[in-house]
Amino acid sequence: MAAAQAPSAQLRWAGAPFYFNSAAHLTRIGREKATNLGELLAGMKACPDASIFQHTFQTLREHHFIREGFSNDFAHWAFAACNEVGLAERLSVIDVREVTSVVGLRERLVNITSEYLEQNPRARDRAAFEPFYFCASESVVIPTPYVARNLAEFSEALHKVSRHSIYYHFIDARLRLKLNTNDFSLWLENELDLGVVADRINGIDIYTQTLQDVRRAILRIIDKAG
Amino acid sequence: MDDPRKDPGTMTENGAPPAPPEAVPGERRKRPRDPNFNTPHRAAPPAPKLEDYEPIIGRPELDELRFLARHLRNKTVKMVNSTAVGGGVAEILNRMVPLLNELEVRTKWEVITGGNDFFEVTKGFHNALHGGEYVVTKEILDIFLMYNEQNRQRMEFAEDIVVIHDPQPAGLIKSKGERGKWIWRCHIDLSNPHPDVWGFLRPMIEQFDATLWSSPSFTRQLPVPQYLFFPCIDPLSEKNKPVDQATVQKVCDDFGIDRSRPILTQISRFDRLKDPVGVIQAYKLAKRYVDCQLVLAGGGASDDPEGAVVLREVMNEAGDDPNIIILNLPPWSALEINALQQASTVVIQKSLKEGFGLTVAEALWKGKPVIASAVGGIPTQVIHKLTGVLVHSVEGCAYQIRYLLTHPEFAEQLGKNGHEHVKENFLMTANVKRYLLLFQILLGVAQPKKLETA
Repeated sequence: MAAAQAPSAQLRWAGAPFYFNSAAHLTRIGREKATNLGELLAGMKACPDASIFQHTFQTLREHHFIREGFSNDFAHWAFAACNEVGLAERLSVIDVREVTSVVGLRERLVNITSEYLEQNPRARDRAAFEPFYFCASESVVIPTPYVARNLAEFSEALHKVSRHSIYYHFIDARLRLKLNTNDFSLWLENELDLGVVADRINGIDIYTQTLQDVRRAILRIIDKAG
Repeated sequence: MDDPRKDPGTMTENGAPPAPPEAVPGERRKRPRDPNFNTPHRAAPPAPKLEDYEPIIGRPELDELRFLARHLRNKTVKMVNSTAVGGGVAEILNRMVPLLNELEVRTKWEVITGGNDFFEVTKGFHNALHGGEYVVTKEILDIFLMYNEQNRQRMEFAEDIVVIHDPQPAGLIKSKGERGKWIWRCHIDLSNPHPDVWGFLRPMIEQFDATLWSSPSFTRQLPVPQYLFFPCIDPLSEKNKPVDQATVQKVCDDFGIDRSRPILTQISRFDRLKDPVGVIQAYKLAKRYVDCQLVLAGGGASDDPEGAVVLREVMNEAGDDPNIIILNLPPWSALEINALQQASTVVIQKSLKEGFGLTVAEALWKGKPVIASAVGGIPTQVIHKLTGVLVHSVEGCAYQIRYLLTHPEFAEQLGKNGHEHVKENFLMTANVKRYLLLFQILLGVAQPKKLETA
């Protein structure tokens, strides 16, 4: 007797549906500011976790339409306000997909900046063109009416949700899950047994694509899987 | 077109341009050296509904606004400022209050009243808070407090949320009771305030539950939460709505602008802080390498003696160059300004000092590459080489003009990024969303998501 074949990707039904959420954000202006790289380093060490999150994760949402440039606010400021391209490049290598905690993220930022200032001591006190203001984000999760129980419904909903929803599930999720993955990939793998599809989606480069590009890339991967 | 050099009206015996003549309503003057134009008065179109924004921001964004508002249904809000017409605050409230009510957040807008003496004091405060010289006397403070007290007695504050805009009505905070949450929205740059004026206002501001600022660089250290609330533009207003090509062409024809050649534009009132003379100097440097026209369009030269002086300086600097088009427009020229921005190849904002500089957002919204000074709130809008270019000198401005006119693909990409930047951060709907979220947080309707840090 032939073994029963798994249903094609389109016909699989999830045990637990995928509920699409979104999030709204307010930016709170912090107390710390930096007028040179030495002060930036001090601020990186002392600022609240929410500030580290704001200037690395949230900035990807606020500037979701940019494909080029430096990937976080610290790197951009080191380049644009301090003219320290070497530091900007090193800071921009940090990929939020590789971190699962703000503590780890802060440590990497501090280490890179400390090392750079040890090698380039004159850069520490040189005045920047404009100050860096440490901010933080306050976010509220917003449920949406979109729910998916299979790949077709997932694809249909993904066409419709806002880019804030994509940010929430694809980027913001990493700290929530404490895994090097995202809500979409996790659900596709766990509920629809689509591990390869999940991996491909997780590999989409968020630093060289806009959130709309990310949406299109996910949809292309799903179309092929179907 | 006549050669302006042959026009006896453009030169005086000593070689200086004559003072601008009075504008004649309805008359279109095409002589390049007469900057005074009139534009037709138009009836204000009806205020847009929430649904009208769907083609711009999309259905999911509208749904999110409705979701946030649902939890505030029947909550009451009062907005208070000092003027019902004119000025950016009134312009924003005119659009925002109807939208909040359409979302069933019951919002009232009240304007404080006062005599000329009060508004002279508040104008003095305004300039002093921007760093200007000012002598604070007891009489001045008494006038401020007296009118605030009069308004306080006249008004009721039973709302769940009270939003006070700018310093003029700050004294109303005395009415803050147990129930409502009070918010101070500061639209001005307080980075370098007159110490006596700020020292007088600060104890009032410290009583608010939250303060809202246009830029982190505008803030003061305060013991109350400070939130970033960008000023915004309305994409459906006369100044920002899509304009058909026929209208753009007609406006350019009326003003003698040749659309077949590159057009550089700065839209600003004639004020030295906007550096219109510096713009002409940058244009002249760039013009050695690239063909272009320069349009300097603004107002303020008819009702402001200083504006008239600056306009004369601008005309002197322009000399007899027929490719410099100077337009002194009346305040009701929003459609013409819109068309000029749409027709521009590059938009310039070479201010020496600036508030937030919403003309930059207007240009970015129209997908234009922008060259702007790195002052005030401009760097928030223009991210260097991503959503525009920042400059620090006449020479830098000239170089960027040359670069953008000879690299149209780069210029186009800046314009596209700039448009998206405005869509994400500086539209009226984004402003409404921020307010809804803040109201939720202050009223305890929503708890901000806890950040997972470990």
